[in-house]
Amino acid sequence: MSAPHVIIGGGVNGLVCATLLARAGRAVTLVERRPEVGGAAVTRELTPGFFVPAGAHSVGPLRADVARDLRLGEHGLAFVTSDAWLTALDGQGRAVTLWHDVARAATSLGAHSAKDAAAWPAFMQARTKLGRVVASVFGHTPPSVDAPSTPELWRLFHTARAFRALGRADGYRLLRWGPMPVADLVAEHVETPVVQAALAADGVLGSLLGPWSAGSGLLFLLHAANDMAGNAAATWPRGGPGALATALRRAAEQAGVTILTGTGVAEILTGNAAKAVGVRLGDGRTLDAAMVVSGIDPKSTFAMCDPMALPAEFRWRAANYRTRGVLAKVNLALSGLPVVPGADREQLATRLRMAPDVDAMERAFDHAKYGRYSPTPWLEAVIPTLVDPTLAPAGAHVMSIYAQYAPLVLREGSWDTERQGLLRAVLDTLDRYMPGVRSLIVEAEVMTPADLEREWGMAGGHIHHGELALDQLFTMRPLLGWSQYRTPIDGVWLCSAGTHPGLGLTGGSGANAAREILRG
Amino acid sequence: MYISAIKEHGPAAPVGPLSPLYLGAMHYDAIVIGGGHNGLTCAAYLAKAGKKTLVLERRHVLGGAAVTEEIFPGFKFSVCSYVVSLLRPEIIRDLDLPSHGLELLPLDGTLTPMESGDYLWRVNDHSKTRREIARHSQKDADAYDHYGMAMVEMGRFAKPILSMTPPDPMSLDPRGLLELLSIGKRFRNMRHHDKVNQVQLLTMSAVDFLDQWFETDALKATMSASGIIGTFLGVRSPGTAYVLLHHYMGEIDGAFRSWGLSRGGTGAVSNAIAGAALRFGAEIRTETPVAKILTRAGRATGVVLENGDEILADVVVSSVDPRLTFERFMEPKELPDDFLEAVRRYKYRGSSGKVNLALDALPDFTCLPGRGEHLRGAISISPSVDYMERAYDQAKHGAFSSRPYIDMVIPTLTDSSLAPPGKHVMSCFVQYAPYHLKAGDVWDDARREAFGDAVIDAIAVHAPNIRTIIRHRQVLTPLDIERDYGLSEGNIFQGELSLEQLFFLRPVPGWAQYATPVHKLYMCGSATHPGGGIMGAPGQNAAARVLKDFRK
Repeated sequence: MSAPHVIIGGGVNGLVCATLLARAGRAVTLVERRPEVGGAAVTRELTPGFFVPAGAHSVGPLRADVARDLRLGEHGLAFVTSDAWLTALDGQGRAVTLWHDVARAATSLGAHSAKDAAAWPAFMQARTKLGRVVASVFGHTPPSVDAPSTPELWRLFHTARAFRALGRADGYRLLRWGPMPVADLVAEHVETPVVQAALAADGVLGSLLGPWSAGSGLLFLLHAANDMAGNAAATWPRGGPGALATALRRAAEQAGVTILTGTGVAEILTGNAAKAVGVRLGDGRTLDAAMVVSGIDPKSTFAMCDPMALPAEFRWRAANYRTRGVLAKVNLALSGLPVVPGADREQLATRLRMAPDVDAMERAFDHAKYGRYSPTPWLEAVIPTLVDPTLAPAGAHVMSIYAQYAPLVLREGSWDTERQGLLRAVLDTLDRYMPGVRSLIVEAEVMTPADLEREWGMAGGHIHHGELALDQLFTMRPLLGWSQYRTPIDGVWLCSAGTHPGLGLTGGSGANAAREILRG
Repeated sequence: MYISAIKEHGPAAPVGPLSPLYLGAMHYDAIVIGGGHNGLTCAAYLAKAGKKTLVLERRHVLGGAAVTEEIFPGFKFSVCSYVVSLLRPEIIRDLDLPSHGLELLPLDGTLTPMESGDYLWRVNDHSKTRREIARHSQKDADAYDHYGMAMVEMGRFAKPILSMTPPDPMSLDPRGLLELLSIGKRFRNMRHHDKVNQVQLLTMSAVDFLDQWFETDALKATMSASGIIGTFLGVRSPGTAYVLLHHYMGEIDGAFRSWGLSRGGTGAVSNAIAGAALRFGAEIRTETPVAKILTRAGRATGVVLENGDEILADVVVSSVDPRLTFERFMEPKELPDDFLEAVRRYKYRGSSGKVNLALDALPDFTCLPGRGEHLRGAISISPSVDYMERAYDQAKHGAFSSRPYIDMVIPTLTDSSLAPPGKHVMSCFVQYAPYHLKAGDVWDDARREAFGDAVIDAIAVHAPNIRTIIRHRQVLTPLDIERDYGLSEGNIFQGELSLEQLFFLRPVPGWAQYATPVHKLYMCGSATHPGGGIMGAPGQNAAARVLKDFRK
């Protein structure tokens, strides 16, 4: 029997890591504070008969090798597909759908700009090529910066070769895209304002960045890479994101993971030698553990450690790890399908991104810098009932909305008093794109970053467990020198989205961490 | 020789009637387009190596943006660039600039008037500054030591990169790869926390970077201001921390991060370099605007002046920005499509303006009244991070900042030759003033004056007597800077210093080594690595490249 392992947090990465460790013969107990595992992958009954994605409204896409290794299909996970990748709405009756099929997308772009239609295939080809190169490092543990091992150098060499194989044009494109403002990046390829805004959204989703912030191009690139690393179709689980949680739980249980829910870890116990010896739970119980693997964000994890067990500089750096959430979530139960001028049913069955142009998104961002929420936020909505009618009564629908920007800390007032104001701002904005949607609302709920922090325990309410910025990625995620899932405390490991590669419910961080832990 | 030149051009070349001057066509080893400080530096090095070099300047005065002009009778201004910090010490030595009249005077300290009515006054004397910061925050005073040491380390790492020709990461040239590896190796050999700082400097926003060390708002605002100069970014935008370092590498007489003034204004720097170039045998012509770069079969052969004269040379080195070099002086068909596309994509987006004031008396700051040492350094209107960011927000949406960031210097306190006795000149660098205004707005005379008024209003908040002491006022908008100084879109650095336009990506990916797709045509201005400021490094690096190719 192996020494006991404790996994803190039953989110997607925690479950993936736990399962892989258990399957390798480790004795694993997973501790989840909430009543159910799944983390941000939750389907919740908002009001009788209406099931909403309470947290994330889409997954990763789930990394293809994770889905395969964990045999999630056998555990009941199935995906629904949509031909539409994105639909851009400008609020003035214009709806442009970017289809997964490049030729079809070019045709819909052509209705607004012949130039965009002509440029689209090359842009998507570049996105795919660059995305593949970036994705090639997603499955690797980042190399040590101080003393890279031979296999690490070998992998770096392979990545360098893949990079150079891009050729000059795409190679330089990759170097330029990362540090660029996403607004400039998309404007180099597309001229239709509403489409620019919809594409630029990839560069700012979940981040304290506006489309004109330098470095937002990187997020655009990471989303491209994520689509390449995963099965792009594995985005919409049948039954909502909660179905992913259910399948992951079954896989974990079948592998022998003991799952404790309803009580969280309060403290990581370390002996005198900065070595993990167990955890103390919220209800006062303690569990012995030789290995403690944290599936929650790095900042919250280190807050559970004895500060004396962490070096001073490390504590300082960890405290400066940026986790300022800006995304609010609104869930709606609707008595019918909202009317969206210019869009048919097929166009609505995907992410609906609402902003007339990049400028409007930037203005929404401006408020967040001064501790205010945007009166006209940028919105991304999905109506999952269009592809999965089981989520609501016949003819009725549910809608899940990401709204930016809502800063974690308000400079005036508090979220307790401003929550309804935010909901009003979101619904007022939504009404411009979907006239009359208010009259369809059966039930509505809003979650601010403060709620996300409270309910899911994500530091700062940051959906990515920490800003996805150039200085917090790859060998620097979460901190330079600590990107190999280890921490300064012997036996304490990280496996959350706050480690490489992070970004969405992909299971990538959990799988990478499990591999490192098993290597010892 | 001229006969062969005519033959070489053949009938396709844009040859006018054979003027006497053409018949007497001189042939140079090198023609440098533009007599700014980089063009002059490049020419001086070329002449020093024995090349017959000609500098062609459009204006009546040399220096480009490093120029001193008597705008109002008796009042001389460093019209554009106004401080000297980055001028490479080896250029001063190699060209023996002091013997040509270069004299650098210290500019000590930065005063920041605060919104509370207090002030923050940092000087070169570390312990004095530490005490001053401690007045606001003991924690920041302690952090200031660590920060200073860390930045010195960072500067040490980055400095050799300034004088390096950027390697091409996509080429198979082993030397370039070795150079990249050597940077990597030096990085690996740094101490761990220096590595972290280095990566953060290259990627973070100035405010995020400074937030890690400091809590005093005015301190962070003033320090972060150097991160936005000449860019169209706000202090919270990633990529602005890098420029903190760019400015920290300022070096006069070997002392890190001291800023200086040049006696006689920044034009004296240009004149000293021109003096050196002349002594080495270069020829310099002012009021000689270039109209075209001559090419034949993908090779530069000389230039055509606006008066129609042709001047031939083995190589042509352009110190003006890529837009002028490739879009004004050349035809699209002379350049590869992808190169031209990249030239068109290169971002200028001027974001700053300049207000030059002739004063009857000194400004009197309410936070620190009277005349004193505090007026001899820079005075920074940057009271808070939000103030800086709000200034940016307005510019983003196409208007000049109604409450702008201003960096003021009163050089007459150090160099009385610039104004009549008892009078002063004050130089105000102002950000943001966007070149591109929102639809419907233009930079006309009314808007220029409104911009000038906003600047005076912002100063008057802290020095109310300013309105009563102004004798003359010159306001330069980005459009004025473009028209008068040939800097496209008024960008003072010949293109934004943003990450995707630096090092091997500056100005065009794959063409960062001072050469161009046109054989024998080179670039040597601030649009090339390592960029803007009165540094001279682009001119020096380019000259090295040109000379290397001469030896081939």
